[in-house]
Amino acid sequence: MEFISLLQYSAPVALAAIGEVLVQKSGVINIGLEGSMLVASFFGMLACYSTHNPWLGLGAAIIAALVMTLIYAFFVLYLAADQVVVGTATNLLALGVTGSLFRSTFGNSSQLLSVPRIPAIHGIDPIMIVMILSVPVVWFALRRTGWGLAVRACGEYPKASDASGFSVNRLRLQSLLLGGLFAGLAGAYLSLVIAGSFAENMTAGRGFMAIAMVTFGRWKPVYVFLAALLIGYAVSLQFKFQTYGWNVPYQLMIALPYIVALLVLVLVGKGASSPGALAQPYRKDK
Amino acid sequence: MKAKHLLSLLAVGLVMGCSNNAPTDEPGSTVKSVSPPKPGQEFQVALLTPGTVYDSGWNALAYAGLQEIEKTMQASVTNKESKGADIADDMRTYGRKGYNLVFGHGFEYNEPAMKVAKDFPDTVFVTSSGGGTAKNVGAFRFELEQGFYLAGYLAGLQTRTGIVGSVSVQNYPSIVSTLKAFEAGAKAANPGLKVLPPVYFGTEGDVTAAKQATEKLIAAGADVIIHQANAAAQGVFDACKEKNVIALGSNADQNANESGVVLASATIVAKPAFLELAKEVKAKTFVGGVVKFGMDKGAIDFVLNPKLSSRVRLDQQQKLKAVADDIKSGKLVVPEDKF
Repeated sequence: MEFISLLQYSAPVALAAIGEVLVQKSGVINIGLEGSMLVASFFGMLACYSTHNPWLGLGAAIIAALVMTLIYAFFVLYLAADQVVVGTATNLLALGVTGSLFRSTFGNSSQLLSVPRIPAIHGIDPIMIVMILSVPVVWFALRRTGWGLAVRACGEYPKASDASGFSVNRLRLQSLLLGGLFAGLAGAYLSLVIAGSFAENMTAGRGFMAIAMVTFGRWKPVYVFLAALLIGYAVSLQFKFQTYGWNVPYQLMIALPYIVALLVLVLVGKGASSPGALAQPYRKDK
Repeated sequence: MKAKHLLSLLAVGLVMGCSNNAPTDEPGSTVKSVSPPKPGQEFQVALLTPGTVYDSGWNALAYAGLQEIEKTMQASVTNKESKGADIADDMRTYGRKGYNLVFGHGFEYNEPAMKVAKDFPDTVFVTSSGGGTAKNVGAFRFELEQGFYLAGYLAGLQTRTGIVGSVSVQNYPSIVSTLKAFEAGAKAANPGLKVLPPVYFGTEGDVTAAKQATEKLIAAGADVIIHQANAAAQGVFDACKEKNVIALGSNADQNANESGVVLASATIVAKPAFLELAKEVKAKTFVGGVVKFGMDKGAIDFVLNPKLSSRVRLDQQQKLKAVADDIKSGKLVVPEDKF
């Protein structure tokens, strides 16, 4: 039971991080991940609220995250803009859009919002199963398929990939959209599986945490997944510690998972293996 | 190539501009003060809150008070989220626009109000809690501690495990003070009971963390849980529902929550306080100072959920009422922190 609870609370970060592995392997760093998760959370909740069907909510969440990812992709692939700047902007856009819509739709309700949730049996829900299956699938796709090889080439040395006849930006777009799909699942997980509710900025930095997990897990799906579980365990542990009432400021407790992440990076950070062309826009020479 | 870069930069700027505006684009800002209003012509009231006024809690109740002023006094009102360094700037802006009354909903507004008020003698600044006062600066002090004391008392009567707990956003002084009152109330009802240390989850609106924190409290044995989680409170109630323990609401009356586990709520009824103050300001009888609003004035209440009241035995209800009466009459003074 403890372990299922750990899987559940780690799932949002883990899902987003697994998707981000694909994205970063193709040479794009999606700083806008947090925003994609947030719009997924919101529109998932909105669709579920109006149809009372959490599955339609899940669909809406994925579409919302894909649209957000397309906006991001338009700037960073087609216009070759700076990925960090555009990512920051799309995060702010997501925060503003979801905040404004949430207020105008639910603002006058005097009660907290509650929507039907995706059903789970003994705490195991379908998205959790998808998450576990996705780890080997993503590994296989990246390591054992021609498509994966091409994607990795785009991330390491896009010119070579281009010279071999692949379209760098098309492969990057495919990776981004797959990453967007995972961001949609992650966002929906927050509002439709765990909370059955929505609050402004409810992602609370989990998208950034996911990006950190990709580095932490050395761009390997299995490690990234385990890293997300480790951090999830640290989060769960710190809440437990708080109930013990030690004479430690709670802010330090909340920071515990981040301290763990930093420590691990210091210990195993040697020989970082980031994709060679990470965050570099690619343009075909004319 | 260059043109494309420029275009993308422009577009990014546009997006950022849009998103920056969005959070302040409240449906509540209905004021149309394009041209500076002539003094004395219209009664103008502004409300600054630390978070969204749609949290069904602390900020929502202030917003309800503002709407009451708009309705009954035909005042022109506006509201804005304002934090940190923005507070003094926003106060100045409203002062310059000739607002008659500016509310700051939290103790953190008191200090900037003291500074700004000197330059705008015709504007009255009132903050929800805070100690500094002047001719045109005052403060409310909602004694929510009284409601939390009663909540603690009820928790003490209801707990079977003898352990109760609380989940809150952060250790703001106003929150800590209420949690102390909760503990005092619980121990008054049941001296042998254990109050778990307060658990904080840190980020406004993080429903997921609020739920996880609540689950940990329940795992530690707590079977009655109160919260100061604001917009993330649904996570607290959901966890209580799943583990079948009692939840207590705060700030607003949350008894009707869909989880169906909220046994009672400690509430602030801010409307009369806001209205009373606005009337004083309009009549120019306001003198500054800290005004306490407690149960005796009907500003604080503790409401049992009528649907669940069968869970509270009659003798427990009578005990609770006796304590409430003692608080109202002043016989029982609930501990309060100064902030």
